[in-house]
Amino acid sequence: MTNYLEKSVKEINELLKNKKIKPIDLVNEAFERIENNSELNAYITLNKEEAVKKAIELEDKEVDNILFGLPIAVKDNIVTKGLRTTAASHILENFTPIYDATVVEKINKNNMIIIGKTNMDEFAMGSSSRTSYFGAPRNPWNKTKISGGSSGGSAVTIAANDVLFALGTDTGGSIRQPASYCGIVGMKPTYGRVSRYGMIAFASSLDQIGPMTKNVYNNALLLNVIAGHDDKDLTSSRKEVEDYTSLIGQDIKGKKIAIPNYFVSDIVSKEIKEKLENVIELLKEKGAIVDYVDMKYLENAVTLYQIIAMGEASSNLARFDGIRYGTSYEDPNGIYDLYVKTRSNGFGKEVKRRIMVGSYLLSGENAKIYYNKALAIRDDISKEFKKVFEKYDYIIGPTTTTTAYDLTDPMDDPSKSFMDDVLSIPVNMAGLPGLNLPIGTSEDNMPIGMQIIGDKFTEASIYQLAAFLEKEIDFCGGVKYE
Amino acid sequence: MNNNYIPTIGIEVHVELKTNTKIFSNSKNGYGQMANSLTNVVDLGYPGTLPTLNEKVIELAIKAATVLNCKIRRQMHFDRKNYFYPDNPKNYQITQAETPIGYDGYVEIDLDGEKKKIYIEEMHIEEDTCKSTHKSGKTYLDFNRAGVPLIEIVTKPCISSPLEAKLYLEKLKELLFYTDVSDCKMEEGSMRADANISLRKNESDPLGTKVEIKNIGSISNVKLSLEKEWERQTKMLDNNEYFKEQTRRFDDKKNDTVLMRVKETGNDYRYFPEPDIPFVYITDEMIENAKKKIPMLPDERKKVYIEKNIPEVNAKKLVEHRELSDFLNSLLDKNVDFVVACNLLLGDISAYLNKEEKKLSETTLTKEKFIELVNKVSSKEISSKNVKDILKDVLETELSIKEIISKSGIKNISDDETINKIIDKIIENNQESVKDYKDGKDRAIKYLMGQVMKETKGSVNPEKAMNLLKVKLQSI
Repeated sequence: MTNYLEKSVKEINELLKNKKIKPIDLVNEAFERIENNSELNAYITLNKEEAVKKAIELEDKEVDNILFGLPIAVKDNIVTKGLRTTAASHILENFTPIYDATVVEKINKNNMIIIGKTNMDEFAMGSSSRTSYFGAPRNPWNKTKISGGSSGGSAVTIAANDVLFALGTDTGGSIRQPASYCGIVGMKPTYGRVSRYGMIAFASSLDQIGPMTKNVYNNALLLNVIAGHDDKDLTSSRKEVEDYTSLIGQDIKGKKIAIPNYFVSDIVSKEIKEKLENVIELLKEKGAIVDYVDMKYLENAVTLYQIIAMGEASSNLARFDGIRYGTSYEDPNGIYDLYVKTRSNGFGKEVKRRIMVGSYLLSGENAKIYYNKALAIRDDISKEFKKVFEKYDYIIGPTTTTTAYDLTDPMDDPSKSFMDDVLSIPVNMAGLPGLNLPIGTSEDNMPIGMQIIGDKFTEASIYQLAAFLEKEIDFCGGVKYE
Repeated sequence: MNNNYIPTIGIEVHVELKTNTKIFSNSKNGYGQMANSLTNVVDLGYPGTLPTLNEKVIELAIKAATVLNCKIRRQMHFDRKNYFYPDNPKNYQITQAETPIGYDGYVEIDLDGEKKKIYIEEMHIEEDTCKSTHKSGKTYLDFNRAGVPLIEIVTKPCISSPLEAKLYLEKLKELLFYTDVSDCKMEEGSMRADANISLRKNESDPLGTKVEIKNIGSISNVKLSLEKEWERQTKMLDNNEYFKEQTRRFDDKKNDTVLMRVKETGNDYRYFPEPDIPFVYITDEMIENAKKKIPMLPDERKKVYIEKNIPEVNAKKLVEHRELSDFLNSLLDKNVDFVVACNLLLGDISAYLNKEEKKLSETTLTKEKFIELVNKVSSKEISSKNVKDILKDVLETELSIKEIISKSGIKNISDDETINKIIDKIIENNQESVKDYKDGKDRAIKYLMGQVMKETKGSVNPEKAMNLLKVKLQSI
């Protein structure tokens, strides 16, 4: 097997430009790696035929950008024209979209090559990818451990070095939490920074697509491709896109960093806190100012999240009725029988549970008591963050409270899975950008991650701090940029 | 009819807005096309799709709110109405439950010369559903209509008779048609009305049990169905029969209302704010721009026409033919004889347009040409018979009226000398009639006049000829 995909993006780009290698070499290598790692179950669908075809087409094209010809994995809740998109659900098991998501159009325009669709929790509902209809992916660090979720497959394929780039989606931590469990870099951009058009909606007011990569620089490169306003998504921002790599390499001296006390409270495991302590010491040493702050509402964020996310999900998933697309019950006895049987057979247990809870939360007076109230308190959370960002450049903390746990751990406590996201959910509630950076490993050699949160649209600045730490920390053999 | 009970009526109207594209996608908004040809992934509720917002819809809704005298909400959002039905592609409809764009308005109707205000509770924007057709045990879905923009206009329960309901709908239709909000064709479903009615003995009694009549196909059927329902409920109340709140429909063939369903406990639509569409802020500028596009409304038009001496009955007729009325309005600042102009438009020109199935805009008639024609007629240079003769040339050629007249060979005999010569000839050949006239038989003069017209093939100025004839006869 060749080892091109272990080189830096810049090196690969030079090789392509100098015609030393062709895109097909990268594609073949990626599939070989995926094949060797098949027991990780990172993919639901591989795009072999089309990827090879595209790679050969690219041979006649000029190498026009740094990501030219590079294989990329796409989470399976992002629609791809002509390529099966299941959202890891039985109800979409045979669904082949007739249009591309905006991010997919952008990837194609940059001549990247979609290698396959990654495994995930069904409709992104879960935090261990074990609700997937296609079985859970495994953590490459320890195959008996969960990958995290819901973007588990994307995190796994990056951690396993199958490809250099993957897309995930993050509603309550679904990029950052598996990135933390698998020891990779994952960014949830500001709500509105990346178009949601073509992402199968879970909770519309929280969902965001983001890049998942092995290192910070690659992450910023991929955000450069997918960020930007989209006429097809009214919630996408018109704010101009920057070069997200532009601050990478700059010093962080004098930067002001806040750590919410809640983020280092007893909910977080001791070893994770210790690793974070090391980072804090390092930051101080390098001239940053680090303060502990109290922030209200952080402990309520999970409850509020459940109300908003499940309420919206119950409505978003209503369209899967067996009439226009997707799996349909064959011989129904009337329309209501079609609905009931299609949805009872098509959805998994967790999805059904969330639809039912969500429907209840929006029923009658409940909408006012729960949903509208949750929206109001959510504004207060945003204000709380805003207050901190008036004084500080960053908020940091751990991404998760523990490291990845066993695949066989029970799934019978539904609220447990939300607790996996207790540190990442507030970021979605406030619509802020947040990034997971690996900062070390635990005693049992599982990755530990930290979260860097910035004010809205400060992704470039987050990459600056993340790249600085990445270089200093030297996680897992260091990174190659040049 | 037995009038022991007072009806209380409320009306909900859906009108489809006249936009080029749908409300939340860029598919075409059209009627009568091949099934499912005007659809895209958004209209079909495909996974991952998101709504966009057609700004024209907001403009038309502001226009409608303005002519319905509604207050306009400055900060509004959309809501999701969640219910499962095959005609509802996302199984939620995007509507406005909490913040309707217009509220607290009214429409004035003319009730036997008295003005009455019909109060509007609210008007909101929403998307239409798809059309389902049931045939031989199967249901066919046509999504062309899915996502067509609608406004729903809801009155307060303040309508006191089926006649008022009819007058309200006629007025509403006229207003929305004139403002180009909708083409208001009930037969094509671009205007749809539901009415509800309850009866009580005295004004001071609480409202009776409400019955809703859905999807009534024409304005006259609204009146008819409400009359039938008034009658039916009266009979039941007189017989002490109890009935539940229910939904009925009007059956054309039976000429009566038919039960659709008895209302169960309130539907739970699980409304919540649509997270895919940010709040919409309506600015003064948007309101001003929309108002600028509102033309002179029918009531004012009628008033202006009557001021120009057009008889009320003709003023009404003009307003019913919007194109003719618009054409006449383009002359309002001109000094022409509006009575003649109106008669030409409603008479010969309308007849021509009906016969040829043409619009005025499809003829060669221009404002300038029409003024020329009106002036020729009002100065009696050409007769109404002449108009009929030259009409085809007026409406189908680029020639000026002057050119048409000279081409058609109409000799406008209006000089006294020529007319007198003709009169002399007629008198000489009809001595009997002259004698009759002298004997006091008035009819004789009409006969003689007819002979003059015949002799000149109608091209003589009739008024002038009559006067000269009288003078001549008296001088004999």
